[in-house]
Amino acid sequence: MTVVLDVITAVLFLGGASFCLLGALGLLRFPDTMSRLHAAAKAQTLGLLLILVGAAVQMSPNLAPVLLLVALFQLLTAPITSQIIGRTAYRTHGLERHLLLRDELADRLEHEGSPVHRRTDHSDRRERDDEDTEDTEDAEDAEDAEDAEDAEDAER
Amino acid sequence: MTRTDGLPNRRGHGRARRVFPHLPMVAWLWLLWLLLWGSTSALVLTGGLLVAVAVVLAFRLPAVRPGTVPRPLGVVRLLIHLLTDLVTSALTVAWQVVRHGGRTTSAIIEVPLDVDGDLLITAVAELTNVGPGNLVTEIDRRRRRLYVHALPAGGPQDIARRRSEVKAVERRVVQALGRRSEDTGGDTGGEADDRGRNP
Repeated sequence: MTVVLDVITAVLFLGGASFCLLGALGLLRFPDTMSRLHAAAKAQTLGLLLILVGAAVQMSPNLAPVLLLVALFQLLTAPITSQIIGRTAYRTHGLERHLLLRDELADRLEHEGSPVHRRTDHSDRRERDDEDTEDTEDAEDAEDAEDAEDAEDAER
Repeated sequence: MTRTDGLPNRRGHGRARRVFPHLPMVAWLWLLWLLLWGSTSALVLTGGLLVAVAVVLAFRLPAVRPGTVPRPLGVVRLLIHLLTDLVTSALTVAWQVVRHGGRTTSAIIEVPLDVDGDLLITAVAELTNVGPGNLVTEIDRRRRRLYVHALPAGGPQDIARRRSEVKAVERRVVQALGRRSEDTGGDTGGEADDRGRNP
């Protein structure tokens, strides 16, 4: 019986570890922050969950609630943090825009007369860093434009 | 000792109304405390209750009411999908890492939502983030739109598929929690009624 449990644990641990490894590899290989978030948020979460299940098999049942809590908070917090980081990355050039097939958020912002990115993506990095503060202002402008449009909608 | 009986009735009701919405949070924190200590001795019980009340008093948050009654069957289906989504999304991303690496394709897609309510939109965004290949970049609360960063997005058919995936997540949330919750912010309430019926 213990052999079976050990094998289950070994498989789950190795599986979880490989997903964590793939997540780490994704952090290295993917081109921009947004893509890296995919690797960090998804592969990592499953890796951790597999390891937790593997540990739960070995441990006494009264410790299971604690493992469950770890899993629960991982599932609750990882997507939220990645959303926040993703949002920030979008506004601060954490995104290789020329790699995007389509960017409907930029389309909307442009349509409203306040594009997030004015310069082409081939400008060098230092230049883009300098632009960051300016672009944050642009983002605020975009929100203002949105407010105005919403007000118009409300009138109609 | 019978002084509380003499209190005006209205004042008692007001206090109950103020305290009641926070009780679920107190109960949850108390449960959390018990689980973390792994015992139910008198000291842990009273200590946990005190800490829970102190936390709720110290960090005053608006009480979140779901507004609708969750449907158990829908919630179960939501959880099952959550688990399968977790596995498929990790596999998708892992495959992209191994196979394509730096040359992976992506796109940012606009997805209009039908649901209205802070809680529901949060749920849709959160579950979308767990789902395969999607990551919510921006939430437009007022217009009820999500902007989703889709990781493997090779062509227009991929984009259409991603959009339908997010809509599927939304459908499952609606089946579990209802279409609209009561706790929407005051400024969006009227507007939502005007737009809610648009397909």
